[in-house]
Amino acid sequence: MQGAPFADRARVDALEKVLGKPIYGADMPLPGMLHAITVPARIAKGRMTALPIESAMRVKGVVRVFTPDDFGPAPVPPAGRYAPPPPMLIWDITFRGQPVALVVAETLEAAIEAAEVIRPEFEEQPFSVLADADNGVVRDAVDDVAAGNTMAELARAAIVIDQTYTSPTQHHNTMELLSTTAVWAEGRLTVHEGTQRSSGVQHDLARALGIDPAIIEVKSAYVGGGFGQRGPTQCQTAIVARAAMILGRPVKLVTPRSQIFHVATYRPMSVHRIRLGADAEGRMVAVRHDAEQEQSRLGMDPPPDRYHDAPPRIYGIPNYLGTSTYLRLDRQNPGFMRCPHPQPALFAFESAIDEMAIALGRDPVEFRLANGATTDPLTGNPLSSRFLDECLAEGARRFGWEQRNPLPRSMTAADGTQIGWGVAAGAYPSMMVPSIASFRVSADGSARIALSGHEMGQGIRTAIAQAVLKHIDIDAERLEIAIGDTSRAPQHITVGSWGTAGAVPAAEAAARRMRARLIELLDGRNVAGNAHRQLAAVRRPYLDVEVAQTAPGQDREEALSALRRGGYAVGGPEYPGFTAMSYIAHFVEVRIEPRTRRIRVPRVVSIADCGRVISPRTARSQIYGGVVWAISATLREETEIDPRFGGYLNCDFADYVVAVNADIADIEVGLIDKPDPMANESGLKGLGEVVMAGGSAAIANAIHHATGVRVRHLPIRIEDLL
Amino acid sequence: MQPIRYIRPSTVREAIAAHASLGDGARYIAGGTTLYDLMKLNIERPTGLVDVTFIEGLETIDTSGDTLRFGANARMADVATDPIVQSQYPVLSEALSKAASQQLRNMATVGANLLQRTRCMYFRNGYGGASGGAADYPCNKRIPGSGCAAIGGLDRGQAVLGVSDACTAVSPGDWPVALVAMDARIEVAGPGGERMLPISELYPLPGETPHIEFTLEPSEIIVGIVIGKNAAGARSTYHKIRDRESFAFALASAAVALEMSGDRVNAARIALGGVATRPWRADAAEAMLIGSDLTDDLAMAAGRAAFADAVPGRSNGFKVELGARTVADAIMIAAARRPL
Ligand SMILES: Cc1cc2nc3c(=O)[nH]c(=O)nc-3n(C[C@H](O)[C@H](O)[C@H](O)COP(=O)(O)OP(=O)(O)OC[C@H]3O[C@@H](n4cnc5c(N)ncnc54)[C@H](O)[C@@H]3O)c2cc1C
Repeated sequence: MQGAPFADRARVDALEKVLGKPIYGADMPLPGMLHAITVPARIAKGRMTALPIESAMRVKGVVRVFTPDDFGPAPVPPAGRYAPPPPMLIWDITFRGQPVALVVAETLEAAIEAAEVIRPEFEEQPFSVLADADNGVVRDAVDDVAAGNTMAELARAAIVIDQTYTSPTQHHNTMELLSTTAVWAEGRLTVHEGTQRSSGVQHDLARALGIDPAIIEVKSAYVGGGFGQRGPTQCQTAIVARAAMILGRPVKLVTPRSQIFHVATYRPMSVHRIRLGADAEGRMVAVRHDAEQEQSRLGMDPPPDRYHDAPPRIYGIPNYLGTSTYLRLDRQNPGFMRCPHPQPALFAFESAIDEMAIALGRDPVEFRLANGATTDPLTGNPLSSRFLDECLAEGARRFGWEQRNPLPRSMTAADGTQIGWGVAAGAYPSMMVPSIASFRVSADGSARIALSGHEMGQGIRTAIAQAVLKHIDIDAERLEIAIGDTSRAPQHITVGSWGTAGAVPAAEAAARRMRARLIELLDGRNVAGNAHRQLAAVRRPYLDVEVAQTAPGQDREEALSALRRGGYAVGGPEYPGFTAMSYIAHFVEVRIEPRTRRIRVPRVVSIADCGRVISPRTARSQIYGGVVWAISATLREETEIDPRFGGYLNCDFADYVVAVNADIADIEVGLIDKPDPMANESGLKGLGEVVMAGGSAAIANAIHHATGVRVRHLPIRIEDLL
Repeated sequence: MQPIRYIRPSTVREAIAAHASLGDGARYIAGGTTLYDLMKLNIERPTGLVDVTFIEGLETIDTSGDTLRFGANARMADVATDPIVQSQYPVLSEALSKAASQQLRNMATVGANLLQRTRCMYFRNGYGGASGGAADYPCNKRIPGSGCAAIGGLDRGQAVLGVSDACTAVSPGDWPVALVAMDARIEVAGPGGERMLPISELYPLPGETPHIEFTLEPSEIIVGIVIGKNAAGARSTYHKIRDRESFAFALASAAVALEMSGDRVNAARIALGGVATRPWRADAAEAMLIGSDLTDDLAMAAGRAAFADAVPGRSNGFKVELGARTVADAIMIAAARRPL
């Protein structure tokens, strides 16, 4: 196992994507399709008292307007009450923009026009949407995360950094809009939708509509960006499916971006107070991390204690105390957005590490290297692999770190531009999910593998192809990789950087088993050619194998049954006997213009440790994407909320500022590519999330080095440096 | 469906007649990049469109005589890359090329550009269209008399100059700022005949009537833009500071053109964008420069003078400092350019 490094391979679906061939959910051409649009609530909290639809029905082309009267009460979900948004139309309004009606028409234009003339009546109640408002926010703490005796050690520490860092509300803004296309035909419901969780959607739909999951298929072959926003079932999906079932025609809803801001998940604002103590010798001894995060009134995701996933597992700091609090508000549920918890948590923690290094007069790279770790203080178990020191050393070498003058404001260009070099580390749990893979190789030259996974641009098909082709000689051009389709294989949610760990070990196992079956079949005969030729020679039209794979330590039956039911079955990062984390080191140069104080990022070097690299090309792309987003999240992105109204003011691409090409300069990336001996048979760890971890702190640390100004909130904007 | 009459005249006279015949709901349309956007937001609901892009000769760029003349239909991209404009009037070329995106500049026209409407989020993102937000924000531009949500609200992007109790919305365009610095005149034609309008007179202050954004009379059409050739053009720049390096409106911008002998400033033209309710001529800053030797400190003092009358709101106070520095930077960039 865990043999030689993988060679570079072009994305297997690059050409078809460039040619525009893949069919995304909203592009599925279907005869007789109807178009839908939702009507948003124009209050932040209260009740809809009347919903007149006569004028909408008079718009030519309108087929039907669905109201809460067309839906029964929402079924009680396993966890209790539905956190907003509810999966159907209801009269009670718990956040601004909650859908209150669905207009279905022969054309999109008619649907929009009718939606615009609907003027529901509401009874509004007082509401609170911002945690800094003086009333209305409910603080709801969960259990602490603790190792050692933090408060005593902090009291004894020679030096303590005590600072608070804030990260704003941000929205994913995937390029592809959220959409649902539902078809009810011959007693079966088919849903085409870009989701990261097709089996989960299938089972949620069954619950919401009161039908058997066996008659539902969810197809998500390509997703135009997920980043966690397409993890939960969208509030629209069951509504659109019900409309299709009642009308007996396919119904499509593409949610306008302004409405996505209001109904889908987002990265919640979070506040992190860090107390970091070091002893007289400069060893870090204790951390207290108080994390607070926006949440809806009833929601549980994302859980705030997961802000403590990464910080304790980067350095050998034996004492850690993490507190975690929901700030409950009249908002829709937040969710998981790329690098969900470590992004804000490590902006805080890795800024504090920088502040500590400066306070101790230590070089921030050397200081990090001197505080290396081999165990997870939360469990006492060893870290399965930690090549962070290699990332730091390699990054420092490529960046030219030894040229850095440690004094803030010491590096100034001839025109007065201030130059700053910053570093930060990142970590993210390396998790693994079960998979059932069925693999067929045919004598006619084709092959197909069906398994769990969703392609969101990260290149999972290429990773699966790498895994299969490593073990068996087949025609790569004719290998079909079926993922995201509940009718082909049960689909686990693809998030949390576990997509590759969920798919590749299973694909490798399937390919190995196929080769073994073939050898058995040939029974000692020496047949030339690839597997297809060999099958043809022995007159076997095809061979099928199926394998089931679970994470280390998982109860096999339980995990596979959860997978089949569209549930979660996540192994790690705490496995029996070890903890697995991925790591990264970011080195950033910033330049601050002397007069107007514009912040530019001319170069970044980022080196990642994700165990064995399965697909070098798409892995490098993941790092580029993570760094770009780190720049965007640090210097650009913030969703703005006016507490007098609720909702989101800058709810489109014109006003929600994401980084553009002109904001991005040189990004150099590298991968350590050393297999993790314990994480899984392939030796891989997750990558897609860790690439962003620590990036914000590296930029903030560079800005401090350039200017002497420590900014402890995001985004860092021009006015922070004037 | 709301029916829209669509008319495609081939002369200015026909266009005016068509527009007048369609009544209040009539709109001229050129590249459509402003109008369609506002229609999707339900801010504009025209009942008739008069497409001016088929009017012959309206896209001409003429730099041969004593003036620069741009037909109203000249594309932003074409004017930005005209060799004379680029080399002798960088302030004009840069104001265009730093606006919007290449795709938009290929569609959008320099005449209609003068009539774009504010980017104030409360104005644009109020409830109304499927692409709008979910709140009915009071907005005196959108619904006269309804109030202003930006005052006392999220006002980081709002104006600090020329504001009133009814409105603080920024005049968004870059090109109009450069034209104000260049003392451009607008050729206008209407049912009552033709007239030349100094660009500074196109834009009223918001006062109590912020919904009145332009001084054009009903059915008047912009035919062209005329700029007297001047020596300052060669020593000029349009400096634009924004929340990202491309594809964003200005937080603060400055159009600066100078005539100098040695270090001494003989003439200065300075206008501001992103900070005011109309394209803003900064006379006080100009006066401070003229007749003096240019230094960094003088440039900064001129920048500060430009904002002496600023009235900041809750969170846009930084625009006073940023704006002053942007002016100072622009003055030094312009000064470093050598006349041909
Ligand atoms: C995403 C985006 C980003 C942008 N960024 C910037 C930026 O950074 N800086 C900037 O300055 N601008 C920016 N713009 C605005 C852009 O410059 C204007 O939309 C464009 O110049 C308008 O030209 P048009 O020909 O498309 O106008 P249209 O949309 O056709 O018309 C605009 C207005 O002018 C009227 N009109 C058209 N022709 C005439 C005429 N001949 N006489 C009288 N009235 C007429 C129309 O009725 C309408 O009211 C941006 C626009 C978009 C959509």
